[in-house]
Amino acid sequence: MPIAPVAERQKPWEARNVYVALILAVLVPGLGHLYQGRIVKGLIYLFGILGLFLWGVKLGEGVVVYNLPEKGLTRKITLHYAAQFGAGLVSYPALLQKQRTTKNNNTIRQLDRPLSTTFTGSLIESHGDAEAGKLDGIITLKPESGEYGPETKGIFTGKLDGQPVKLELGGNFFLDRPIAAGFRRTLKIGVLGGVENGRILIGSIPRPFFDGYGVPPDPDQLQEVTGRLGKQHELALVFTWIAGLLNILAIWDCVQGPAYGFGDETWQTPNPDENIEKTKLDPPIPVTNVTTPA
Amino acid sequence: MSFSLFILAQTVNVTWYLLPLAMIISLVYSASRFELPDRILRRATWLFLQIIGFMGIVFALLWILSYKM
Repeated sequence: MPIAPVAERQKPWEARNVYVALILAVLVPGLGHLYQGRIVKGLIYLFGILGLFLWGVKLGEGVVVYNLPEKGLTRKITLHYAAQFGAGLVSYPALLQKQRTTKNNNTIRQLDRPLSTTFTGSLIESHGDAEAGKLDGIITLKPESGEYGPETKGIFTGKLDGQPVKLELGGNFFLDRPIAAGFRRTLKIGVLGGVENGRILIGSIPRPFFDGYGVPPDPDQLQEVTGRLGKQHELALVFTWIAGLLNILAIWDCVQGPAYGFGDETWQTPNPDENIEKTKLDPPIPVTNVTTPA
Repeated sequence: MSFSLFILAQTVNVTWYLLPLAMIISLVYSASRFELPDRILRRATWLFLQIIGFMGIVFALLWILSYKM
């Protein structure tokens, strides 16, 4: 099939407004291509880059996207975050979340409103760290006035090592800060009465997505997560870094077109009638004899 | 013995993530080089095989060098 001259080809990245496409491509990988009608490439970038980034977030249990510059250094953006930043909108919350952690964000020793949610954790002996079993169920807590002032009491209903169990709770209450890195919030409370009296529930409840995503972790939390997840956490970071860097290629492609895509495509044969008309309008440029110097 | 098997299983699991990662890198890189979908797919497949092949050679080399260590 004949190949049309470069100037006659419709460049798909110039079919729509380039600036709009650029902004869309920067915000969401592949969205600029979809706007330009380059559906296949758009979907490759969208699912490839965004999928890789979110997969990394999932693997790292949410403690992945953050900007944590070392104190005393002039650099306000770490290389870690700079690589993630390329992925677009999904990385931007990290710029705001640090400020949110500084306002009214303390650990809670006494609830001021009822709380009911899923709980996953362990039942621990009151003395020592020996685990009495794995817990999985629903925890319901509420503030009550006790003998020595306000207390947090409640009930756990669920399974202890697969067996149904109902525990009355109270004392030694601890709940992690509302806004912190990760999608789980540490909760600790004692058991009152029954066979399990004196033991302690230690585990976690879900944290709302916007309170856990992009929040810089504490050094202790980072150490705990990297220690527990090991290579999986490193891999999670690498996934987000690669996704951010790959999107730079996608943005470039959205604005300037593929690096060497032209020349390898086959193009439709132009209509012969159109060629005749075109020849009449644009007569061929005469070729002059060029003498080469001896 | 069981502990070392557990460690090996963990390592193997992480290594398997290389496959989808290499696939995504190949696809996105090739998409940024070419315009037509069939050309993108062909080049991505070739790049994927190159990456996996290279990693396989490095893995085999390290495995031989660390034999009986």
